Amino acid sequence: MTTALAQKKKVRINGCVASAQAAKYADVDVITAYPIRPYTATMIALAQMVANGELDAEYIVADSEHSQLSIAHGASSSGARVFTGSSGVGVQFAYELYSPISGTRMPVQMMIADRTLDPPGDFGSEHTDALSTRDMGWLMGWACDAQEAFDNHLLGYRIGEDRRVLLPQMVCQDGFFVSHITTDVELPDTGQVREFLPDYKHPYPLDPRRPVSHGPQIMPEQGPPLQLERARAMEGAVPVIEQAHEEFARIFGRRYDPWIEEYMTGDAEVVFFLQGAHGVTARYAIQHMRQRGAKVGLVRLKTIRPYPTDRVKDVLGRFAVVGVIETNLGLGSVSSGGVLYAEACAALYESAQRPLVVSFMAGMGGEAIVLKEFYWMTQKMLEAKKRGKIEKRTHWVGFED
Amino acid sequence: MSYTELTVWTRGIIMDKEGRDIVNSVAAAGRLEGKFAQAMENYVDNPDRTNAPTRKYCRLSESAIENELTYENEQPNIVVLVEQTMVKGWDYMRGMPPGGTLVINTHYTPEYMIRFVPGAERLAQMVCVDAAHIAHHKWLYYRLGELGLDRLSTEGAAERSTAIAPDIAAPLIAAVVKSTGIVKIESIEPMIANKTAFRAALDQLHVMPLGQAVA
Repeated sequence: MTTALAQKKKVRINGCVASAQAAKYADVDVITAYPIRPYTATMIALAQMVANGELDAEYIVADSEHSQLSIAHGASSSGARVFTGSSGVGVQFAYELYSPISGTRMPVQMMIADRTLDPPGDFGSEHTDALSTRDMGWLMGWACDAQEAFDNHLLGYRIGEDRRVLLPQMVCQDGFFVSHITTDVELPDTGQVREFLPDYKHPYPLDPRRPVSHGPQIMPEQGPPLQLERARAMEGAVPVIEQAHEEFARIFGRRYDPWIEEYMTGDAEVVFFLQGAHGVTARYAIQHMRQRGAKVGLVRLKTIRPYPTDRVKDVLGRFAVVGVIETNLGLGSVSSGGVLYAEACAALYESAQRPLVVSFMAGMGGEAIVLKEFYWMTQKMLEAKKRGKIEKRTHWVGFED
Repeated sequence: MSYTELTVWTRGIIMDKEGRDIVNSVAAAGRLEGKFAQAMENYVDNPDRTNAPTRKYCRLSESAIENELTYENEQPNIVVLVEQTMVKGWDYMRGMPPGGTLVINTHYTPEYMIRFVPGAERLAQMVCVDAAHIAHHKWLYYRLGELGLDRLSTEGAAERSTAIAPDIAAPLIAAVVKSTGIVKIESIEPMIANKTAFRAALDQLHVMPLGQAVA
């Protein structure tokens, strides 16, 4: 299928439209859609591209997210490059499909623009919608701005469709903070995209001329090897992810560390550990705190599945205090706050140098985390360093002095 | 002004795209001038409903915009009312620092309209422009496609018309740019679809200077 040719150019678009543009540049074959804010904007933009003839793809509007992901699964099984997406409770309603899609090794790509679950169900961004599916065998990571979101979609297809991987991808961005703020995005030359992302060819598509079975009923003893295969695919993705980012830097000129972004960590004593858009405000807060003498930095997790355990261990082990900013809900979890804390601590368990780790519940309901809240959290970390002990595992920011 | 906030109050669906065009074009012109710029819509006003008030925001700055992720313009220096009856009933002046500018699309004069403005003492100037008249705005069914009305455009993701400011937004942008100097006329004019209305408006503004110095 063909896509209208375009030269490399700078445009002003928001994160949702950046995702739609990425799907167009990736020349997807099938789009399955069902509206829910903030993802709706991506779906609208793609509908217009198909209607205008900019993108030659099957555009299927399902009757629910469950059907939407079922159709995506079927289309991918036939060998199509598939793009879908959702937000908040929509992500949850399709839950049944996440394991079958990764279990049959179908590299469906799903754009997630985060939205809180109910309650509070407002339009704001909490990462709980996507994070609750984190162990279903999908590659997963967050962007912090529209450009990174665009790039992550191309990277996602390249990694997920690699025959050593063959796994679906959730390409996540914060609702509003990324999805609905218009900024500069560089769109590549289609020639660059073709070089980076070759045509997709699944090794065993459903085809009546070459019969194969996908996901048949099996006996219990056939289960373990199937699960081991899927686990190995996730582990096997690690070098593929690194190679893809190298290639991306070579072709497009933007270099990302696939796992972790470090900001002002060289001499840092205390660091924030977070995912997604709040990293943008964190950087400004860090600049101001450093002017006041606080040695604070930022470690932003870019890929959470597969989890970069050794990198997290090595990086976070360099600091005295780590403050995990959750932006997600892990009710009754290890920290009784969010879910990032437990995995950061688990990664650090094997480290000879274990920092103090504290969890901050901030940005809940999709509230912007403002500069003064970052100052407050920095203060809590500096106090813990001085004391040599955390005050408590989880702070609810805005509810304490 | 090293940091400026522009807030546009408009009506859902019928004038939504035109409201969006104002913030998007000012932000784009700001970028061309090398400033940091951001444009967005009020997140919870969308998806818009016909005639419901919706807000659009633009931020321009000489340095990085550190409050980039906050939802609303909390201290608008410039406020635009795309439809004149919005002058009553909403506190569009909330948070405006002294020295602000209020622009209204109306055939009335500033001397008449000022009585409805809450907190007018914060204004340096009030600007009235008869944008509907200048743009020859007519609600004719066959013109809907070329006017701002666009039911697909909610969320700003897809617009049937790619023309920026084909209708009443053009005189309003002229009013904002000429009265405040937020961006240069020559940076923004090339983007405007209805250049006739844009240029005509530059000479047809009713500007009422008020107590405060322009901030």
